[in-house]
Amino acid sequence: MAPLWTSVIRSIRYKIALLMLASVCCALLVAGVALSLYEISDYRQQAMNELGTQADILGRASASALAFDDARAVKENLQLLSNHPGLQAAAIYAARGRRMGEFRGADAAQVSIPDLPEADGIHVSGNHVIVFKRVVENGEIVGTVYLNGRYELMARLRDFLGILCAVMVFSLMVTGLLSVWLQRAFTQPILAVTSAAHRVVALKDFSLRVPKTTEDEVGYLVEAFNGMLAKLGQREQDLAASQRLLEQEVEERRRVDEDLRNLNAQLELHVAQRTAQLETANKELESFSYSVSHDLRTPLRGVVGFADALLEDHGEDLDEEAQRKLRIVHGEGLRMGRLIDDLLAFSRLGRKALQTVEVDMEGLARNAWKSVAGPDAGSSLRLELGRLPPVQGDPALLTQVWINLLSNAVKFSAKREQALVSISAITDGEEHVYFVRDNGAGFNPKYQDKLFGVFQRLHDSDAYAGTGVGLALVQRIVLRHGGRVWAEGQPDQGATFYFALPKEPLHEPL
Amino acid sequence: MKTGGVRRPCPGRRRLLGLVLLLACAGAAWAQVDEGADEAHVKAAFLYKFTGYVDWPDSAFDPPGASFVIGVQGSPALLGELSQLIAGRKIHERPVQVRSIAAGDSLDGLQVLFVGRSESFRGEASSPVLIVTEADGSMPRGSMINFLVIDRHVRFVIALPTVEQAGLRMSSRLLSVAQKVIQAEEH
Repeated sequence: MAPLWTSVIRSIRYKIALLMLASVCCALLVAGVALSLYEISDYRQQAMNELGTQADILGRASASALAFDDARAVKENLQLLSNHPGLQAAAIYAARGRRMGEFRGADAAQVSIPDLPEADGIHVSGNHVIVFKRVVENGEIVGTVYLNGRYELMARLRDFLGILCAVMVFSLMVTGLLSVWLQRAFTQPILAVTSAAHRVVALKDFSLRVPKTTEDEVGYLVEAFNGMLAKLGQREQDLAASQRLLEQEVEERRRVDEDLRNLNAQLELHVAQRTAQLETANKELESFSYSVSHDLRTPLRGVVGFADALLEDHGEDLDEEAQRKLRIVHGEGLRMGRLIDDLLAFSRLGRKALQTVEVDMEGLARNAWKSVAGPDAGSSLRLELGRLPPVQGDPALLTQVWINLLSNAVKFSAKREQALVSISAITDGEEHVYFVRDNGAGFNPKYQDKLFGVFQRLHDSDAYAGTGVGLALVQRIVLRHGGRVWAEGQPDQGATFYFALPKEPLHEPL
Repeated sequence: MKTGGVRRPCPGRRRLLGLVLLLACAGAAWAQVDEGADEAHVKAAFLYKFTGYVDWPDSAFDPPGASFVIGVQGSPALLGELSQLIAGRKIHERPVQVRSIAAGDSLDGLQVLFVGRSESFRGEASSPVLIVTEADGSMPRGSMINFLVIDRHVRFVIALPTVEQAGLRMSSRLLSVAQKVIQAEEH
């Protein structure tokens, strides 16, 4: 049962057959019920009418016999009914109720014939239809006819239902055959589409086409299906073509990439070579300048030492003018010594490896301020120290940065009555930006790019002492930490020097 | 529904009607004869009933509105029964008279003449008259219906040619219950 039902709900063929059978069954059942109901009422009416008519005829025929009390004629008339199949018993009564004649069917021995006539009328009682009919002749009642007929509703209904069942079975068979024949015409195109769809899904063959055999909705479906197949096929071809094109492009790009990589490698090789040459040249230059500076110190120490000794030992022998000039020689010698020291420090920086640790920038800045401003920093010089984040770096070099920047600030704001130096920092996602602001002489932004050059001075050395190496050193140290420096300022409106250090320290190539 | 109801009254009412009619019939004076009943009574009833099976031409009634007249000759018992029987009845839509007839009386104006056993029947009528006799043995000449008593039942013989000669028309239904129908002249 289950597989049958499954195949019914899976296939439109069986559904249509089932539909037709169900429709025919329903129609036949409804018709059968209606006909049965009609038959029941009709049979009763018909039986009563028929027997009534028979009674009428018998009465008319027997009227004169009754009128003239002719029992023989009455019996003859009754005998006429003996062949009537539906009649079980009959009797004729005289006007006063005396029974003049009677008749029983062969199979109706048990039927009792009433001794006296009952009232005029027809009624059904059990399996019998019973008629009493007055016979009227020339306006006088001359007697009564009694008829007892068969009323076999159940047998009749049984026959009727039997016929109905036979008709139903036959109809269902005919319908079944008809549905097999009809649904073939009906479902063939749908099944063709279905099998084509199966093949398309299984084989991915979009060149399949379903022949169009009908002009109805299914025909339209077939057309649409074919159209979709054609479009799908076309699209797949396009896709394949574009894929081939894409593959070619990828291949080409890969080749170009490779060329580029080769070229790049060559370039990098070139750069490395050049860099090596440059580094070599730079190192040679640095060692040259170091040895020059170092070699210059020895004679200079002699000049300064002997100028000092001359002033100490023979100062009283010289006049005022000579002493003054000698002091200038001594001072300039000292200045040259500092210049050489700075140069040495600057060149040393390129030769020393960074000692990177976590550095407390706030502590460094405070100590640097102490050494720059001196213990007797008056009320004319004020520092505002903000919160500074720690950073990864070389503490000795960073101390140098702070000292150089702060001494620069103090130096250029020394002429202010109320000098203010403020230190603070800003942090963004990648770096810490520290800055030192003063309200000193400031500078012309036009020369901004010269600020950090070696021996570059924006102010003359008479007004502001210095060697012109400090800011260059600062830049050098910060660059070596992977950071950057810049400055903002206007003449007479102070200056701000910034240096930014990365949060993650750069691994410095040596 | 209404017409149906009129045409087919309910069985109960119909039954009641039948019973009433039956009682009326049973009580009627002309009621049919049983064994041992008075022969005259039965014959009077038959005589009355014969009129229902016989057609008289219009010429039998002069004037046209005249009563239906039954003459009785020589049978006072039957005359009395008949007089009782016809009281309040009509024959062929006409009032009925019963008249005693003596031998030799004119038969004009009569439609039926009954001739008793002891009487001889004679005479011609200008209009059609149904002649009924009760002669034993053979049919008297001119008689159209003759009563017999067979097995104590009253029966009758019809002489059809005489009836037809007289210009009367007799229903075949009457013929069918006759003891015998004489088709041709026997005399």
